[in-house]
Amino acid sequence: MSANARRKLASPTLAMLPRVADSLSFLYAEAVRIVQDDTGVCAQVASRNGTDRVYLPTASLACILLGPGTSITQPAMATIARHGTSLVCVGAGGVRSYAGIVPSSLTTAWLEKQVRAWASDDLSLQVAVRMYEMRFGQSTAPPGATLAQLRGLEGQRIKALYRMMAIKYRLKRFTRNYDPDSWDDQDPVNKALSGANACMYGVVHAAVLALGCSPALGFIHSGTQMAFVYDVADLYKARVTIPMAFSLYSSQDPEREARRRLREEFRALKLMPQIVRDIQSLLDPDSSSGNDSGDRTTDLVHLWDPDAGALPAGVNYGYEFIDVPLE
Amino acid sequence: MASMIVISTTAVPDHVGGALSRWLIEPCPGLFVGTVSARVRDELWAAVSASVGEGMAVLIHPADNEQGFTMQTSGQRRRHVVDFDGLQLIKFAAATGPQLVQGETHVNM
Repeated sequence: MSANARRKLASPTLAMLPRVADSLSFLYAEAVRIVQDDTGVCAQVASRNGTDRVYLPTASLACILLGPGTSITQPAMATIARHGTSLVCVGAGGVRSYAGIVPSSLTTAWLEKQVRAWASDDLSLQVAVRMYEMRFGQSTAPPGATLAQLRGLEGQRIKALYRMMAIKYRLKRFTRNYDPDSWDDQDPVNKALSGANACMYGVVHAAVLALGCSPALGFIHSGTQMAFVYDVADLYKARVTIPMAFSLYSSQDPEREARRRLREEFRALKLMPQIVRDIQSLLDPDSSSGNDSGDRTTDLVHLWDPDAGALPAGVNYGYEFIDVPLE
Repeated sequence: MASMIVISTTAVPDHVGGALSRWLIEPCPGLFVGTVSARVRDELWAAVSASVGEGMAVLIHPADNEQGFTMQTSGQRRRHVVDFDGLQLIKFAAATGPQLVQGETHVNM
């Protein structure tokens, strides 16, 4: 193999890496040791006869979820980051997302879109309206609605959904309660709902990080590092977690059952590509899947100019100034 | 609806390769590729997996899943196809002599 081809394999060029739209695989790892051997990244699993190995196709994974009992070596982490793959430390089964490691080469295209929309009152309201419409159907938001009106409408919708579900499962009454201080004496539906929502947040957090967006800059929620995650997770609660939580009204261990169901029946990890597509259409409704914003990594660093836009970095722009005599 | 299939064989009896070469082409030893319908594919694979003897064979064909393909194996080998939440990866078992692939269990990973 020529030296050039070897180098290319060692640090892949942009064209060799899949785009967000092409491939969004997420791998959840638990109780394995992830190392780099030869030139591949592999997960080592201790078995009766010794160590079994599973090679991980890092370049075609968008995100690796590191669950409990996982350890990972620095060379493996470096390789994963070089391929533009996000690493997220999560709780068991992908519920609860603790921290994310975002590769430095991850494109900022989506982060910039998010920040522009977030910083402008008009655009930010538009995104909030789009979120509302995504949940309750097209043109359900009255034209010119304020955020307060949207919040009120949303509250009514969720209450109506709770009422409908309570009637369906013949529950006398249902009041949503997620007070951590009175956790143990809550009814099974509330516990299942809290458990399932925690799982949802982990999955959404991973998707937000995979795109390079900030989990902190929300359009409806604000003030926590997870505000945007709460925004996006709300898109799926009425469809996924609420109906499931109500079906567990007589469960003995509702939280665990809810997480198991979300993992196995709803295949929480299967939601990932859908979540990413939804975030993209929220932040940039005009983007077509065929444009270059699908690239996850960028080799170029630009300097930004308010008039000229992005300028190539690594260039000395000193000639643009009039020579000022030093003495 | 015909689609592409790839069958790779290792140390299978000669007659298996001969039979496969009547449907598929063999661009390098033991590797067969062609385009056949799903029914023909199933018949071929049933015949091949029943007659691998001491060797082994792998079938790969397009599928409507995230990876775009699916893998099936037969025979005695150290590589096992393992499903991780719908993602098919290969588990390379620790060296303890050949193991049967039949009855693959899911590794918690």
